[in-house]
Amino acid sequence: MNGEDLFDAITQVRDALVDEAAQTEPAKVRAGWLKFGAAAAAVVLVVGLGAGVLGGKLPRLSSGFGVAPPTNNDPGSAPGGDGGPGHDEGSVFMSYAGPVFPLAVPSGGEGLIAQREVTYDFSGWGEQPWPHQMPTTDRYTIGNPTGEDKTVTLYYPFASSLGDLKDDTPVLKVDGAEAETTLRVGSYSGGFQTVPGGEDAGLLNLEQFNSWEQYRDLLSDGRYLENALGDHHDLSDIPVTVYEFSNYWGPQPDSAKGIPNATIRAEFDLDYSRTTVLAYGFHGAGIDPDAGHMMQSFSIPREFDPENGDAFYLFVLGDDIANLTTQGYATGGADTRDTIEAGVDVERYVTDLDSALRKAAEQMYRRCSWWSEWDEADRPDFEMYFGLLKDDLAAYGLIADEPVARYDTGWLQEMDVVWMNRVFYLEAGVTVPAGGSVTVEAAFSKGGSYDFYCGSPEGESVYGYDLMTRLDSSLEIAQQTARAVNTDGVEIVRQNYGFDWAGGVDTVGLDPAEEHYYLEIRAAQSE
Amino acid sequence: MDDSAIIALYWSRDESAIAETQRKYGPYCRAIAMNILGSREDAEECVSDTFHSAWNAIPPQRPGSLPGFLGRIVRNLSISRWRRERAQKRYAGLDVMLSELEECLPGPGGVEEAVEGRELTGCIEGWLDGLGREDRAVFLRRYWYGEEVRALAKAWGVGANQMAKRLQRLRKDLKRELEQEGYAL
Repeated sequence: MNGEDLFDAITQVRDALVDEAAQTEPAKVRAGWLKFGAAAAAVVLVVGLGAGVLGGKLPRLSSGFGVAPPTNNDPGSAPGGDGGPGHDEGSVFMSYAGPVFPLAVPSGGEGLIAQREVTYDFSGWGEQPWPHQMPTTDRYTIGNPTGEDKTVTLYYPFASSLGDLKDDTPVLKVDGAEAETTLRVGSYSGGFQTVPGGEDAGLLNLEQFNSWEQYRDLLSDGRYLENALGDHHDLSDIPVTVYEFSNYWGPQPDSAKGIPNATIRAEFDLDYSRTTVLAYGFHGAGIDPDAGHMMQSFSIPREFDPENGDAFYLFVLGDDIANLTTQGYATGGADTRDTIEAGVDVERYVTDLDSALRKAAEQMYRRCSWWSEWDEADRPDFEMYFGLLKDDLAAYGLIADEPVARYDTGWLQEMDVVWMNRVFYLEAGVTVPAGGSVTVEAAFSKGGSYDFYCGSPEGESVYGYDLMTRLDSSLEIAQQTARAVNTDGVEIVRQNYGFDWAGGVDTVGLDPAEEHYYLEIRAAQSE
Repeated sequence: MDDSAIIALYWSRDESAIAETQRKYGPYCRAIAMNILGSREDAEECVSDTFHSAWNAIPPQRPGSLPGFLGRIVRNLSISRWRRERAQKRYAGLDVMLSELEECLPGPGGVEEAVEGRELTGCIEGWLDGLGREDRAVFLRRYWYGEEVRALAKAWGVGANQMAKRLQRLRKDLKRELEQEGYAL
């Protein structure tokens, strides 16, 4: 038998399995929690424990900025739902890359007049890194017809995530020379939704934006940028009692010995009305407010696991917990009664939440670097990561005014910070001389919007690229054009630009009254 | 057009069946062929042959799942092309997939047993049935549909490394299953 035999055998698996795979979407399931609840009849599962349970012990923190209201799988709007046509302009893609935004000058740009030219370069489009990152330039000639020099701070916005930042970040040039820029980052742009087709257990999944109108609404009044320019949350005035778990030990998993998943459980008592528990490194939980009891558990890392050697934490806010015990178990299931020889050192100390989270965040950042394959040179700045982690916790976690069910175990989710889509800004200062002009050019590689491969066979292989012509800005963009170059081998499926490559129309003027232009393309069909 | 209507066109020997199939499932078949062969030209030929094969096969066949039926044909045609031309060309997609799948193969020294393809499929189906729905989907989307690891990682909202690790765990699990069932090199 060889790999080809295996390939052939897999080819023949029954249709039901193949069809199911095409329709399966990732769902977030709180396995540990649910297992515990199923096992213990007395356990009451509580969804949505929030800052309210602290009886006002914590300072009120601002909610997430620009968070779209949860749409709860509203048909036709939920990402990862229905791909294909259905939008009033262009398609709704399951994965929406976001539009190319226009340059923004929030203030001081009055009197300046710009011309904009966006160029899409399709050379080798089909071979560009997935999802068909397309070299794009967004060029502005900013004229100053006034009688005095004007110095302004400009912001070039782009939609991305920390995880995609290394591929998406533009290079900004002023008069042909690379500009000195500062990277600014906004809050999570999307919302949350229930698990598609699952039981209604609250808003457990991320719901990223899937239309340009959502970005328009988010950015329309300048408050999102204003927020992005502000400081991240400072949690240093919140006292916290930390339980640090380190030097864990126990048997390696071995199903033959009846130990498929060596696990350590921490169990303790607390008054749920006076205490909130956040956790890092734990991934099983049992919540029992009536009994005033909580269980948190973690699998003992194996030698090759990236978290091996990390300390794990319980962060106790409000009144301290009591009667903490630890015990090793043969599996991670909350109904497991098979104990094992295992142990862990537990250190208790009191500090502030900002300092406590920083220690955990350093580990989380290392793990994210491993998972996301960040190189030293191109990984996001740790302070940005840590700041966003705190912002997200304050906006959606258990210390938020209205916590989201996704975080109601209290676990800090390091990868959410990485994969939540946001709007980033490159900030630069320019002086436009009186009677003169400067050119500002953003060059970047823009990934296409697309449907997940199996979810919509009809839409597969079509990729969308769109742009917006207007944003809240003091800079007048008087004229805009779009240009397509090296279009061989690429055909247009849908558009509103007015390109006609076969007819030689590869440069078109854009109407400033039209806020949005879309272009959906695929590899030229041979038939 | 609804799949049952397309199948009805085949059964009535209406040649518009091919056009309708092409319209609805052309990109789908093309993507599978591309994932395996990585060559647009070769993929196009396989897709074209897929529609002719479907025309010849229906009737007498009446597929329960038209995408599954077409996907299976295009996979078979793609691997046939790979076998025929691998000496002359390097097909990155399938080469990578096969090298991954070879990790599932039990080592020598197990029970020697002639492997009937159908029996092996049954074993794999049994293993797939025992997986959680998401693991099953991840495995099949990689090794049946041929989706790239990075695309899967994006769909699942995890890093490529993490998805690669998940697939590696599944391959190891399948290998153990095959060993327990007595398969050997």
